Amino acid sequence: MSKIISTHSFRGGTGKSNTTANLAVLTAKAGFRVGVIDTDIQSPGIHILFRLDEKVVQKSLNDYLWGKCRIEEAAYDVTERAIGDEQDGSERPRLFLIPSSLRSGEIARILREGYDVGRLNDGFQDLIRLLRLDYLFIDTHPGVNEETLLSIAVSDTLVLIVRPDQQDFQGTAVTVELARKLFVPEMFIVINKVPIGTDPVSLKVHVEGLYKTDVAAVLPLSIEMARNASGDIFCNRYPAHPLTQELKSIVKRFIP
Amino acid sequence: MTAPADDKELDLLLGRMKATAAPLRELLRGFHARYAENDEGKVADYIPELAGADRRWFGITIVTTDGQIFEVGDCKQLFTIQSISKPFVYGLALEDNGMEHVVSKVGVEPTGEAFNSIVLDESSNRPFNPMVNAGAIAIADLVRGKDYPERVNRLLKMFGRYCGRDVYIDNSVFMSERMTGHRNRAIAHLMLNFGMIGERIEEALELYFQQCSILVSAHDLAVMGATLANGGVNPITGLRAIEQPYIKNLLSIILSCGMYDHSGEWAYRVGIPAKSGVGGGIVGVIPGQFGIGVFSPPLDSKGNSVRGIQTFQELSQRFGLHVFESGFSDPKIQDLFAPARR
Repeated sequence: MSKIISTHSFRGGTGKSNTTANLAVLTAKAGFRVGVIDTDIQSPGIHILFRLDEKVVQKSLNDYLWGKCRIEEAAYDVTERAIGDEQDGSERPRLFLIPSSLRSGEIARILREGYDVGRLNDGFQDLIRLLRLDYLFIDTHPGVNEETLLSIAVSDTLVLIVRPDQQDFQGTAVTVELARKLFVPEMFIVINKVPIGTDPVSLKVHVEGLYKTDVAAVLPLSIEMARNASGDIFCNRYPAHPLTQELKSIVKRFIP
Repeated sequence: MTAPADDKELDLLLGRMKATAAPLRELLRGFHARYAENDEGKVADYIPELAGADRRWFGITIVTTDGQIFEVGDCKQLFTIQSISKPFVYGLALEDNGMEHVVSKVGVEPTGEAFNSIVLDESSNRPFNPMVNAGAIAIADLVRGKDYPERVNRLLKMFGRYCGRDVYIDNSVFMSERMTGHRNRAIAHLMLNFGMIGERIEEALELYFQQCSILVSAHDLAVMGATLANGGVNPITGLRAIEQPYIKNLLSIILSCGMYDHSGEWAYRVGIPAKSGVGGGIVGVIPGQFGIGVFSPPLDSKGNSVRGIQTFQELSQRFGLHVFESGFSDPKIQDLFAPARR
């Protein structure tokens, strides 16, 4: 059975899109068909990590939400770019990306007019069925709005990304409460951008105590990640890096 | 700390998200896609306003007695309620006059005749039931109020309580209905001749044309059905629309007479109390559980929405929703209300 995994953070700048992209790539590499949908309509960005050229993107999630295309027409096969040359048209692994529009006019229009969140959910279900996905990763907009709540409501697993920062901690408490009200079956926290010198074990214990929620990984602030500057998928470029190993340990939680 | 009003707001939002993520929505989408392809039937065209309806319009809404809403398609598209107004006005007449008086004026027997037939019970001169036009006009005559404006207002307020919002009349439909309503006038005069209707015959007809011209959506119909399923209390607003004891009277008439001269077969095959209108709407009630609203303008030869009938048939068979079903062992529709957990 396929699984929906949403990644969410209460505030921006937590490294949410980066983490989502890496988790999706590592999951695909484990031999699965994976989709990544960017529902961060207001500030899309994950396509950059997959080096999906704006000019190639004829149809986006926005077009689907306006009823101008079917959702699968906005899905781009990025397997080669994301996983490398391991496969030639084989069924697995496969990685698909469904980007949001980067055109300012289209972003403005969807903010002004809104859209039917039901249609967004229909899109998730259609993607899973038509692309025969094993996993669908939803990269959400920071904070709480209709699409993040819907994403949480449909998720099998919710990954909350936080930085060790008081504002993040407070905001995350809100998300945890909402997620519990929406009966998410599995939820865990990833602490990201942890400064060198912080004791990961005591931080983990502290955060687990705060939210009564499992901390799946404590990811150190990495110079390589910063230098990478969203230019590439980190786990591909630094396969042996300790950060990649930590990300792999998160993926082990999803896959059987 | 959040204020209670904010908590209610949050609960509504979370409820909407849960319903959107629920598998029932996927199932309804499947029905919708399948039946949308059926292009049989004819859009009502006895007045130009109805003929202008888009035959592709198709919406399905289910509203539960605890206020969950599941919907797909053109659920917010407004259309005139037409005959679906009849049982609701009947409820108001019961409240205003009591059951015995109402039954002395209008019977409760299915006719098997078309909705606009000119036929009264030979021994009592009563119209056979409140769902044929004759009965509905006699029932409109029983709506109380000191004058005509007050009577119209009471009627609209009642529909407002069922829908959970202010309702409005489509004025051009109203004008067309009253201009072309010769047959209904004839029926009223026949009843006047037998003393079955008061002297305010023009007012009764006007009220009847008004009630038929109220604008509703599939969403509204489902909320109205859910209100009847919920003991008379609108599950979205928490406000009462009808006194609880009359609901069984109203629903039994709907089951025996609600689908025009298709009612017997409907009770036999589908078994869900349901009322249709020539605007293309059908409202259905599963007592204690939920209301169903379907809207699709193309009608069959009996005047019932073709896609509406198919939707109700499939819901009934699949989930054992026939009122006389017992020992049904397949999965229940309630299993599809909560988001699926794989």
